[in-house]
Amino acid sequence: MTGPTLRAEGLTKRFGAVLAVDQATIQVDPGEVVGLLGPNGAGKTTMLRMIAGILAPDAGSVTVAGMDMATRPLEAKRAVGFHSGDTQLYRRLNAREALAYFGRLYGMEEAHLKARIDELVELLDMRSFCDRPCDTYSAGQKQRANIARAFLHEPELLILDEPTTALDVISGRFIVETIRAESAAGRAVLFSTHIMGEAEYLCDRIALLHQGRIVDHGRLDELLERSGCRNLTDTFLKLAGQEAAA
Amino acid sequence: MRPRILGVIYRKELVESLRDRRTLFMMVGLPILLYPLLIFGMSRLQESQQEAQQQRESAVAVWGAMPEALRARMAEAPRLKLTQWMGVPAQVREGLESGALAPPPTEPPRRETEQARPRPKPLPDAQWARTAQQMILERKADAVLILWPGFADQVDKGGVGRATVLYDSVRPDSTKARERIADELRLWRIELTGARVRERGLPEGFEQGVEYSSQNVAPEKRQSGMLLGMLLPYMVILLSVLSGFYASIDITAGEKERGTMQTLLCAPVEALEIVAGKFLAVWTITLLGTTVNLVSLSLVFTRVKLMPGMEMQISTTAVLLAFVLLLPISMMVTALFLAVGAFARDFKDGQNYLTPIMMGLVFPLIVTMQPGIELNAHLAFVPVINVALLIKAVFLGEWAADMLFLVMTSSLCYAAIALAFAAQVFERNNVLLGGKETIGGVLDFSRAPGSRPTPGVSILLFSVVLVIAFYGSLSLTKVSLPGMLLTVQYGFFLLPTLLLVQAKGYDWRNTLALRRLPWRGLLGALLVGLSGWAVASGIFIRILPPPESLVKALEKILLMDDRAVPLWQVWLLMAVTPALCEETLFRGLILSGFRRLGQWPALLLTGLLFGLAHASIYRLLPTFFLGVVFGYAVWKTGSLWAGVICHALNNGLMALLARSRETLEQFGLTGQKYLPWEYVAVAAVVMMAGLLLLRGARQSSTPATA
Repeated sequence: MTGPTLRAEGLTKRFGAVLAVDQATIQVDPGEVVGLLGPNGAGKTTMLRMIAGILAPDAGSVTVAGMDMATRPLEAKRAVGFHSGDTQLYRRLNAREALAYFGRLYGMEEAHLKARIDELVELLDMRSFCDRPCDTYSAGQKQRANIARAFLHEPELLILDEPTTALDVISGRFIVETIRAESAAGRAVLFSTHIMGEAEYLCDRIALLHQGRIVDHGRLDELLERSGCRNLTDTFLKLAGQEAAA
Repeated sequence: MRPRILGVIYRKELVESLRDRRTLFMMVGLPILLYPLLIFGMSRLQESQQEAQQQRESAVAVWGAMPEALRARMAEAPRLKLTQWMGVPAQVREGLESGALAPPPTEPPRRETEQARPRPKPLPDAQWARTAQQMILERKADAVLILWPGFADQVDKGGVGRATVLYDSVRPDSTKARERIADELRLWRIELTGARVRERGLPEGFEQGVEYSSQNVAPEKRQSGMLLGMLLPYMVILLSVLSGFYASIDITAGEKERGTMQTLLCAPVEALEIVAGKFLAVWTITLLGTTVNLVSLSLVFTRVKLMPGMEMQISTTAVLLAFVLLLPISMMVTALFLAVGAFARDFKDGQNYLTPIMMGLVFPLIVTMQPGIELNAHLAFVPVINVALLIKAVFLGEWAADMLFLVMTSSLCYAAIALAFAAQVFERNNVLLGGKETIGGVLDFSRAPGSRPTPGVSILLFSVVLVIAFYGSLSLTKVSLPGMLLTVQYGFFLLPTLLLVQAKGYDWRNTLALRRLPWRGLLGALLVGLSGWAVASGIFIRILPPPESLVKALEKILLMDDRAVPLWQVWLLMAVTPALCEETLFRGLILSGFRRLGQWPALLLTGLLFGLAHASIYRLLPTFFLGVVFGYAVWKTGSLWAGVICHALNNGLMALLARSRETLEQFGLTGQKYLPWEYVAVAAVVMMAGLLLLRGARQSSTPATA
């Protein structure tokens, strides 16, 4: 496929009097990792939910793999793998059952689904716990099972909302390396975090979100050059401060 | 909606819910434990209380002089302990001994049945009454027996000795004491009057004058049915819907709390598939719970005697009918649970949200536990109460098919409304993701200009219209027949339909099929309209013959209460008006909503709703048949006028035949129970010809996009 995997233009969402996302535009190409950075309450989750087709934007459009989320939602959603750090799995199902459930919802063939689950169990090192109910998992195990669920149908676009939240260093690093591997395999990744180090390590491009607006975006070196700062944290604080003062 | 995806969601929700111990306990554990505990517990408690009461001695204070004969009799009475002058104030004793105290005036005998409820006698404002009351309330005595001055003298002289028993009706021990004293006084009175009659050489029974006895004719089964009927609908309904309580919260608020709702929403599934899958899973659990409840209670009741000499029995038919009646109510409550549960932030919040719904069920159910409340036309459309009262009637063996039909129809309407609400809530992702949303925002009556109604809108409109029309017509009983017919047709059928089309901004022409009727279609509609009645009544009335009362009631309407109304007015009222109003509702908006389901599902569903709207099981089949045929006429011609003509001719012919006894005689139809087969055959041929004409009618007209 030529062209960007994701093109979101002019996304706007208002909750009552609060303008959560304001005219946000973002693009992710195949094999690219784009980071969406912002403090808590910046509008990252709302923006990712609109891109994933969970929330309808008040204005703007989302196109995934050439399919418009508003007019062809089922096809567009099939091209998206969404994972949020605070998501848990079904407590009384085991990981295999939960994965099989989602695989069927994504219309995967039974034989292919079974093979893909086996593959992910191996890849994400889930063999020791995947037949136990999900409510017995540790935080790291839950996160692996969730990542497996997002990767299961081999989507063209991965949307990861703070995937390393509440994880220890080892589990966090495992997730980061997995994202890198998926991007190397040609998948487009849109990734939100408030951990600047993660973004510096992983992202090809970075968009800085503050009070619902994308205040700057580009490659890391471009952002640093424009801001005149030495690192991403300072750049972000500077831009956020300017924005607040404006 | 894709059935495969619906099946995937349904299976997952069911498996996960059935692995929840709380749901399992509510569904299986509670009914298995509760009924035996309740029945054995209740009967044991009652027995032990009765035993304890029988064993306990009644402490009675006697104020006033007691004749020796009575004293001896009372002394022999079991468990009656009399204490002379116990607790009596000196002044009262003095008054009783001196004769200064007089008994309270006796009321003249009156008809007790004429009073709405027995009036409690006020306590006399006197020292003796206040002291006795205090003694009884403080439990120093169970009762106080006052023998008024001159008691013994009057008895000796052949007069009336007057006595008063003071007791506390709330305390069983006090009531028992009163019964024991009254028993002894009654037996002594029989003895005394017998002796008086004998002494005077009077004939036996002189003092009685009249002797009467009453005999309860209710068979034992009915008596036990009444007891069951009062208690069981309450328990069965509550426990059945309770089976789905936790599952509903878990798969709505629970999913939100765990963040899995978000995961589900980003999967390629439609909101309707999610709500349908979840609804079917919880409904299955509720129905499993209902089955366990009914099986458990029928097993318990066939093996238990609640009262001595009273067999409890629940027939298989009663259990099956109760199950059928619980289908729509469980459907309604499940849909409400899901819709309201979706607003809750977490599991605990969900319990808080759903508890008021449970309370909302408890209050009407308590009403049905009151003795003397029976199902009637007014209550047949009151949700929950109608089902509870019909289950009560089923246990009594007193249910009627027509009432069952009405209750089922109305309950299905309420279930449809609740389901539509649930579907609407699940369309709002903001609600499912934990965002704030008002009920008004969820209901969303916004206009969608140029759009067409959906099947959900059709069912919702039908349900709302039917409920309005039912209560509306009940409130119009004092209005004349024409007034009532016009109000129901134009006010309750046509007006809501037109208002909905206007409010939602639907395309008038496509929604109501407002197109010119081609000549071929007109001819076909004429033939179908003239023959429809004969085919419908000739075949379907033979399958389920209506009772005489219904036939007479319909005739009375067709004859306009036997008033001399000109035929053109009757046609206007009975034929043209229903044809316009009912066709706009059924073959206009409702059929348009079902159109996306395909020709036959749409025609059959519209026909079914048309049949249900006639509110009688005996009219269901013929009106269902006519509804399908009229729908076919509209579908094939693309014009509502085809339905209007069929309907008007059909009704007009019926009104004409009802008024023209000569015509009936001419055709040899007077006194015939059913229309002879030869007439039915001729009508069927005419109808087939009409349907064939209708079949090709569309080609000769402008093709409609309908």
